[in-house]
Amino acid sequence: MGVCKEQPGVRVALTGNESIARGALEAGVAYAASYPGSPTAEVLGTLAKVAGEFNLYVEWSVNEKVAMEGAAAASFTGLRSLVVMKADGLNVALDFASALALSGTRGGMVIVVGDDPSSHSSVREEDSRNLCKALHLPIWEPSSVQEAKDMTRAAFDLSEQLKLPVVVRCVTRVCHASGDVELGELTRPERRPVFGRDDRVITFSIQLHAQLEQKLSRAAAEASDSFFNGYSGPANARRLVIASGPSAMYALEALDMLGLAGGVGVLKLGTTWPLPETLLLNYLKNASEVVFAEEVEPFVEDNVMALAAGHWNELGSIKFYGKRSGHVAGPAGAGIGELDPDVLAGSLAKIFDVPWAGQTMLTSREAEELLGEKMPGRELALCAGCPHRASFWAIRTALELDGREGVVLGDIGCYTLGIVRTGYYLLQTMHCMGAGVGIAGGLGKLNRFGFNKPVITVVGDSTFYHAAVPALINARYNRANFMCVVLDNETTAMTGHQPHPGRQTTATGGPADTVYMEEIIRGLNIPYAISDPYDVDATINAVCDMLQLSGPRVLILRRTCALAAVKGKEKNRVYVDWDKCIGDDCGCGRFCSKVFACPANIWDAEHGKARIDEAVCNGCGVCATLCPQQAIVVERTVE
Amino acid sequence: MPGQERLKNEIIDGGLCSACGLCVGLCPYIKTRRDRVRVIYPCGLQEGTCYSVCPKTGLDVGEMDRAVFGREREDQALGVLQGIYFARAAGDKAPGAQYGGVTTALAALALRQGLISGAVLTGGEADNPHPALARTAGEVYACAGSKYVGVPTLAELNRALRDGLTGLGVVGRPCQVAAVRKMQQGNLPGAQFNVPGAVELVLGLFCFASLTPDFYSFLSGQVQGEKVIKMDIPEDGPVVETSAGSYRWSMDDLRPYIHKACNLCLDPTSEWADIAVGATEYDRAWNTLVVRSDRGRDLLNLALDKGVIEIKEYPPQRLPVLRRATLNKKMRVLADAEYQEGRPGCPVVPLEYRRQIEEQWGGVSQ
Repeated sequence: MGVCKEQPGVRVALTGNESIARGALEAGVAYAASYPGSPTAEVLGTLAKVAGEFNLYVEWSVNEKVAMEGAAAASFTGLRSLVVMKADGLNVALDFASALALSGTRGGMVIVVGDDPSSHSSVREEDSRNLCKALHLPIWEPSSVQEAKDMTRAAFDLSEQLKLPVVVRCVTRVCHASGDVELGELTRPERRPVFGRDDRVITFSIQLHAQLEQKLSRAAAEASDSFFNGYSGPANARRLVIASGPSAMYALEALDMLGLAGGVGVLKLGTTWPLPETLLLNYLKNASEVVFAEEVEPFVEDNVMALAAGHWNELGSIKFYGKRSGHVAGPAGAGIGELDPDVLAGSLAKIFDVPWAGQTMLTSREAEELLGEKMPGRELALCAGCPHRASFWAIRTALELDGREGVVLGDIGCYTLGIVRTGYYLLQTMHCMGAGVGIAGGLGKLNRFGFNKPVITVVGDSTFYHAAVPALINARYNRANFMCVVLDNETTAMTGHQPHPGRQTTATGGPADTVYMEEIIRGLNIPYAISDPYDVDATINAVCDMLQLSGPRVLILRRTCALAAVKGKEKNRVYVDWDKCIGDDCGCGRFCSKVFACPANIWDAEHGKARIDEAVCNGCGVCATLCPQQAIVVERTVE
Repeated sequence: MPGQERLKNEIIDGGLCSACGLCVGLCPYIKTRRDRVRVIYPCGLQEGTCYSVCPKTGLDVGEMDRAVFGREREDQALGVLQGIYFARAAGDKAPGAQYGGVTTALAALALRQGLISGAVLTGGEADNPHPALARTAGEVYACAGSKYVGVPTLAELNRALRDGLTGLGVVGRPCQVAAVRKMQQGNLPGAQFNVPGAVELVLGLFCFASLTPDFYSFLSGQVQGEKVIKMDIPEDGPVVETSAGSYRWSMDDLRPYIHKACNLCLDPTSEWADIAVGATEYDRAWNTLVVRSDRGRDLLNLALDKGVIEIKEYPPQRLPVLRRATLNKKMRVLADAEYQEGRPGCPVVPLEYRRQIEEQWGGVSQ
């Protein structure tokens, strides 16, 4: 594959994630760990595929904190290590990361953080740069796929010099973009981990803070000379755009559209933190108007303005435009959502008082007018055959049968869609991985104040290992009264079917010592049961029976992810017997297509009957079980 | 014709559901568990079969008499009847059969003779009853024994009809008999209900009240794990036989577990059944048997010819006792503060019927 090509100088097409992986290989990385999280999940997946060839250890860890701790261990021995996570995952790792910055590292250690402006596949658009600054870690931001590789490689060198981890902060539009990448030379260093009795990596002295500040000063000094900061435009520009990340590309494109490319300078910051102060001051002293282009938080804006304030007597009067001033704003407001060339063009036209003819792209309203009836609306939906849909139907049914108006809590995964129609609006809370279990523990102790409703919390199998176990221990210890439903689809489906400790394979496909969740639950002495969500009636009964119990208890609803289950296999054929289907007369108003609402259950308006979209259907057969007319037929393949 | 939403608000959530089960299985949204009927999802339809067949909605006693028997009743205590007898199964009774074992014998006979294709009734144990469909006489015998918790037996009727069966027999409580008769009057949205001859025989049970599923908690608390063999509610109070002995309570102990709907029910003797069967509370070896329809008369005659049951004259001195019990029940309902004619759960009683109830009750009282 592209990331393995040996010849330096050759150009290949890579995604940003693949490019990061290539950069790590060129740096001679020895140890890579991650917990899956979009937009960066593919970095480790890419490395896993070539681990054998490069004598590389690659691990899917149980959570981001553990991943970082493992990578740090490799670094402590002098090996180069990489840890990859999304911004939410950095929150998980924060406790260790803040201590690690103080203790320092030895071998080069790079932390790749994937931010997700506009929340394409996250619950929030979190800007991790402020966290990394608080951690006292250097932050580099690639603006292109090529830079993703080059920065990752160089970050190992900087980290090794400073003996401090370096963050490469990459946003979705870079991680998932494809670009032409010129490759560098691969290295295969000899690896001799050294960590003897006399070695100490301890976070215990005020002096470490002083040393950390010195490391950052050195990073700042080097930043001003860094290849990754670049300027284009006139000499001594009075009008300047300072941009970081892909916003730098957007700025160049926007200025070109406005015809201002010759008159406005663009300073691209790659080494976002610490600021390249000397470099910045050099350009600020000639500038009278400065525009900041960056996504989400005004991180560069705030820090550069603070820098300028400290040098006001040298710089004179400068007018700053950005999120703070409200000038750089997208449709949702300043600092909300992604930028794009169009948004920036509108902002710059306003700031520089340049006529702007308007968008070259259609607005969504115009698109709607043009496409009108030809483009149906689409809502978020679980995949056809998703066992979570069957689980949600069973839980919802069981709660109604129980009649006590029980509450249902959730967290993050594919099953987050339990908050919308496809999940029958079942879930009532949604925060971060495993939070539902902790909240259930709290609700489960409020009986002393008169709260007596049944409490159910839903957690995925991967999240069970990631974050739910401590909350279950706490519940057992404190005798909290709730039911935890583990939706075990036997994979980390949402981010691309990565394995986890409950499975029998590792990231590189080798054998694993499986950690069965049943054994953990038994070890906690918590009662549990197992049911197949495709067997809807049995699952309804299982939920109802368990609702009658008290104390902490667990129900495992186990069925392989429908997409994983049908990979490379022949699907069951499911179709509607039109002689039995009663169409609109169905007493429930088209139960299968309107209410159960699997994407494969569609309505044939011409015939007034339900139909199965065979291209979409994964053959689970749950709709056949639920059809009140028994009109849906499943022809099972021989397994 | 209202639908699911009103059924849910007025009857199910209003505590007026006696769990007959006929609304269960018509669509995916009404289900039952441990004899509790629940709406699990709103269907959004304005009209529904579920509301129409519910015995607690729109029930007019006079209209039902005319629809089922073609005439109005004269006897307000027992309803329309052609004869009332002491009856019991001849020969060996089914193990566990209550009193005379007549219901079991009649249902089994109808199956053996091909009068019905299957019998919908309540099977299981006293502490774990469930709806059942018997296709053979043997399966009927396996279901013998009275159950006192209201079981949604008619859910099984819906399942049988959906599976294409017709010519079924039903054994049910008075509310279940009323529901089936409503169903038979036809013109309902559901396709399966418009099949001619879906139900060919209705055997009704006497029932002055049925218990809610909460009774199970009471029962298991009392017997503490012992196996329940049999339960009965004779004149001197409820009694349960377990593997370790007997438990006895007063009727007041069970009052909290009586379905609220039963307090508003005017029919303790399955007044629209072909044949109604109850305990005699006089001689434990015999049942009370009331023949109400021509079909019931034919079945009784066949049973006598085949020698599966025997009958004798209802003792003259006992008839007033039975009449007093039923009229007391009706007067209690009419006097109940919650009873308002036309209200959900409250059957409509024609003025003439009401006058006759009071008149006949006065007569028996003396």
